[in-house]
Amino acid sequence: MNKEKVLRELSDWDDTTRRRKITLSNPVFIKGLALTPLAVAATTVQNSFILSVCVLLLLTPTRIVTSAVTRRMSVPLKSFFYPLTSAVIFFFVYIFMYRLFGTKVFSLGIYLPIMVVDPLIVKNFEKTRKESFTYSIINGLRNTFGFILACMITGAVREFLAFGTVCGVKLLNISLLPMAKTSFGGFIIIGLISAFWHYSVKNYRERLITEARKING
Amino acid sequence: MNSLKKQTHYDSIFIALVPIVICATVMYSARVLLLCAAAMFTARVTDVAIAAARHLPVDTEDKSAIVAAVIFVMMMPVSVPIYLVVVTVAISTLIGKHAFGGKGVYPFNLSALSMCIAAVNWPEKVFTAVKPFARVDFWTGACRSTATQSSTIKAGGLPYVDMLDLLTGNYAGAMGSSFVLLTVAIAVCLLITKKITWHVPVSFLTVCTLFALAFPRIYGISRLNSVKLEILSSSLIFVTLFMLCEPDTTPKKPRAKIIFGALAGIITMLYRYFGAYEIGACFAILLVNATESFWDRMISGDFIKEFLARETSVRNTKQSHKKKSKTGKNTALDKPKAEKPAVADKKTEITEEILQNFSADTARAPKKQAAKEPDKNGKKQQKVTDMIAEAEDRLDNVEFSTRTIDIDAILREIDKHSKGGKK
Repeated sequence: MNKEKVLRELSDWDDTTRRRKITLSNPVFIKGLALTPLAVAATTVQNSFILSVCVLLLLTPTRIVTSAVTRRMSVPLKSFFYPLTSAVIFFFVYIFMYRLFGTKVFSLGIYLPIMVVDPLIVKNFEKTRKESFTYSIINGLRNTFGFILACMITGAVREFLAFGTVCGVKLLNISLLPMAKTSFGGFIIIGLISAFWHYSVKNYRERLITEARKING
Repeated sequence: MNSLKKQTHYDSIFIALVPIVICATVMYSARVLLLCAAAMFTARVTDVAIAAARHLPVDTEDKSAIVAAVIFVMMMPVSVPIYLVVVTVAISTLIGKHAFGGKGVYPFNLSALSMCIAAVNWPEKVFTAVKPFARVDFWTGACRSTATQSSTIKAGGLPYVDMLDLLTGNYAGAMGSSFVLLTVAIAVCLLITKKITWHVPVSFLTVCTLFALAFPRIYGISRLNSVKLEILSSSLIFVTLFMLCEPDTTPKKPRAKIIFGALAGIITMLYRYFGAYEIGACFAILLVNATESFWDRMISGDFIKEFLARETSVRNTKQSHKKKSKTGKNTALDKPKAEKPAVADKKTEITEEILQNFSADTARAPKKQAAKEPDKNGKKQQKVTDMIAEAEDRLDNVEFSTRTIDIDAILREIDKHSKGGKK
């Protein structure tokens, strides 16, 4: 591994995790955000894709608008304004998604509109630090792609375990774990993936420390 | 010492299961042995895999998962597919045992958890019954199956089974949980040898019997006959002995055990009457397992003492704040926050020098050496190595989301003490 990269990543681990939000600080598997829609609605790859498109269209615009408008607002006012903004944006997103996916959007039920008040979208209202326009875009996109990765993985794993298919393609003739399609099965599977994710991140950090030791002889 | 006691319990339960497995093999073909072997192998492999993943030594004496796997298999019909057993045992061992810390500390009974997982996932395969001495395919388990006695009762029907058949298990049912006489004999042996106590089984079965007597579910027969069918035609006796009496998941104090058993009995009967599944006892056991330590604390009075102490401290704090605010003095809350030490605010940097100090020679080597030969190093060296180990643990457990990771301070501490230790 590159010496400079190792030292740079280790010297400010907090900054490293912030920069690499998709993997090292995944909003779902590490931070535990947006668990409910994932555990309940992301039963197949198709549902996960619809959820991902919703977050892609909702999260970053909400952050941009709120970071621009709420600069001088107090926290209580912000807590009202954030969901309001996301709800207004969701109105247009929903129309667009209905045109794109048709009645398949209904299969997610309440768990699509509930994204409006999900901590993944609105948790930033409690931050006292002012967010610049560029940072809101970058951070919003990092969070979005982190969620999309988690959502697609969860959807694929659950579809495979519950139905023996992935993206509708039959891989197994038996259903390995039918409870994967239920909500509590979803929570268990997300928990297991999260445990594996944490384990991988810990391993990566240990590898960095070992590399740093090797570099320093 | 405590773990030795628990180990002895699992050993004796394992031995107690042997006659049941033999009877099941005689009545339901050699496929019983195949299923038991698959379940035991899966439980062991899961244990070993988790130990390897956690970098812990494999506990060869821990039989809790294996025993739970055999108990679970005994509650299944002989026609159950092998993959069902393997998947269920692996998941229950992983989630029920290792996710909670492993041997001796898991709160939920593993076999009850396995049974619930199987029932939720494959109800059509779990809630079927095979007649004794029926022809069963060894590998696939294909055979002619019928409805279970419990499902007949649940559907409002009247199961017709002789009293003698009910006691000997000579009717279509699960592999090993229908041998009432044999199970009772095993229970008596375990009671005499003091491997189990009477509190939980007696309170559980008493409550179940009273409940069935007060609210008979089977119409068209006398109340006593209804109670007989309720208690004997399902796996209730088997569940009582092998699931409810597990020392890791039941209270320790006798009075707490009686309450625990009674509560389990009430919830079991409620599940049977109003629940969607026939194995109400397993769901009830999982529910009451969650209250296990509470009853111990409640009986010993610790819970009340803790509650009173907490209340008193809160009241005292409130009174002192009120007094201080009346007199106009600054309270502890009004005081400005102490400034953070310079190290915490400082941007963390790992320089090559620090990493050199954090090398295996200074940090890890003394720890390993001390673990092997603690007497040679002397007390001072031991203390230094302990401190280094503690500092390393702290470094390992740093939260990723924490803003002020004090790596510098930890590394300096390691450096300082390792140098001190060398001198």
